Amino acid sequence: MKGGAAQHLDLLLFSVEGVYFGIDAEQVLQTAACNGEDDDLLWIHEVLDFRTTSVVYLTPTIITAGTRGGRRYRVVIDAMEDITQCSLNDLRPLPPVLEPFAMRKGIWGILPRNGRMTLLLDLMSLLSTRVPQPPERRTEPCPEAG
Amino acid sequence: MQSSEQPLKSELILNELKLRQRTKEVVDVEEERVKVIIFTCGGNRYAFYGGDVREFLPICDISWVPGLPEYLPGLINVRGDIESVIDIRHFLGEEKGDSFTGLIAMAVLDDFRSGILIDSIEDVVDVPQSAIKPPLSTLDGEARDLVLGELDYGGGLVTLLDIGKLASKISL
Repeated sequence: MKGGAAQHLDLLLFSVEGVYFGIDAEQVLQTAACNGEDDDLLWIHEVLDFRTTSVVYLTPTIITAGTRGGRRYRVVIDAMEDITQCSLNDLRPLPPVLEPFAMRKGIWGILPRNGRMTLLLDLMSLLSTRVPQPPERRTEPCPEAG
Repeated sequence: MQSSEQPLKSELILNELKLRQRTKEVVDVEEERVKVIIFTCGGNRYAFYGGDVREFLPICDISWVPGLPEYLPGLINVRGDIESVIDIRHFLGEEKGDSFTGLIAMAVLDDFRSGILIDSIEDVVDVPQSAIKPPLSTLDGEARDLVLGELDYGGGLVTLLDIGKLASKISL
């Protein structure tokens, strides 16, 4: 979204383990198929601290996103849909009770859609809080992580 | 035999009755009454002030959100309004099962609004304010921080919980 005048937001929608997310499409620099052999990948369920120990990715996709500092991360998401344009009128702020907790994970709003809630995720904010670490070599295949 | 100027006995009694009634009315007016909702949670009885609860909702899908503490199970959609849900059992030291089949009490107090998971509604009663006693100083347990007072109900004591204290505890 450029400036403050835009009335729409282009969202890249995906879901992981039945939790639905939307990212501002402008934050996604690149998408690529996940072949499971890269060792510099971040798995979205790990970045967001999903409570489950094992998460199954059915159709994993790698998205590249940057931080404010210019650092780039490659993040694996699942069940990516097309980019959807939504009106700002359709977006809802988080309830104040849980806003401070959710914002720490980059979640800043809600899009009620198709009878479910899509969590609006600011990937730039989320990734900017990460302390850069040397990449770990992953041994598990791409479609199943955790 | 009574003289004609003397009031009749029935008049005297009637006057006395009316005086008593007026006195009672005065007492009734002065005695502030409050609505209290008695509910169960984790097998124990608790209460909220009725004015702090807007409505009760049947349990519905609660959307989990990453990063929330255990006592915040997630979000619900109430006729288009997105509301948080609090699992108060966490603060009451009550056991938590795998599934939840109760109700959601929508609490609204000043700037605070949130759904609160409860098991069931037991009763809604009007009680004089004086019926609410300060909590026992010996009261211990995790619920102590949320307790506003206690009241007699059904031959036992019911713990009146303070939504304001709950709000403060969560925002800490």
